[in-house]
Amino acid sequence: MARQQPAYDVTDDLELIEAAQDGSVDAFTELVHGYREGLFRFLLTRCSNHADAEDALQDTFINAYRYIRSYNPRWRFSTWIYRIAIRNAARLKSPQVQELGEIGDEESDPLRHCIADSERQNLWWNARRLLTDEVFTAMWLRYVEDMSVNDISAVLKRSVSWTKVNLMRGRRSLDVELNKEANEAKSEAYG
Amino acid sequence: MRPRVKPMDKLGKRLRDDAASIDAKISAELDHRIQASLQGIEPVRTRPASQQARPYSRWLASSLTGIAAAIAVIAIINLERPGPEPIASNPVQPLVLPTINLKVEAAMLTSPLQQELEDLQSDLRKAEQAVREDIEISF
Repeated sequence: MARQQPAYDVTDDLELIEAAQDGSVDAFTELVHGYREGLFRFLLTRCSNHADAEDALQDTFINAYRYIRSYNPRWRFSTWIYRIAIRNAARLKSPQVQELGEIGDEESDPLRHCIADSERQNLWWNARRLLTDEVFTAMWLRYVEDMSVNDISAVLKRSVSWTKVNLMRGRRSLDVELNKEANEAKSEAYG
Repeated sequence: MRPRVKPMDKLGKRLRDDAASIDAKISAELDHRIQASLQGIEPVRTRPASQQARPYSRWLASSLTGIAAAIAVIAIINLERPGPEPIASNPVQPLVLPTINLKVEAAMLTSPLQQELEDLQSDLRKAEQAVREDIEISF
């Protein structure tokens, strides 16, 4: 799910990046096409409302294109663009929603609206309540975007050991939640 | 190259599935908005890292300039400052150390301790004698 359309490989990415650095909007559009939905999904979990998530996505692409010449191919493009997205999401976050676990108005919460109706609770909903912003992001990048620990630490500007420890902590917290949910389902089944 | 991903465990699979259930379809309107906003932008020209770094000669020149400026400032300050005032010569006071009154009392040894002391002194004498004999033999 990390890349919706993995139609081109890294070599193609580099060619598109070079073309975008030369000022080709079309090449840039093609380059980011595969990242759009993944980024938007991530931003929906990070922003306090749908409109903010849309604005953050737009700003992410604008900033990425504006500073495409500063992109260092040493890093994966996804690492670079996620860093920009995280910064934009943080900037657009309203002051009363400093922590993801402190969503004030549930009606405007994009995550609540976007989760398809399901009998079970979406685990990301709980993750947002249980984890800090950074650990939530680390978990998302690891399990949804399949990023390596090194890439995650680069996105979050944290050490590799910090990333490993916090991924483990995040896993443990969500494991507890998952087990709790399973136990509740079992007790309901037995009446 | 995509990183090698471990086989999904229960939690990982659940997280992935739950993320996929978040509807993140990009509307045509948003797509249009993004496209329109990109059209009016020109990528910022940034100098490559090799150009951004100052050459060695410039570092050296700026360092020398800094050192020269520092020396000049120190010299000016010292020239403007009046000479040091004569220091009044104070006779050196003799250092008086406090005397410590130690109360020393002779210990009265009881007979077993007295005996012990005599035995030790005797052992010491014997050891001295043995060493002396050894020295005489060796020389």
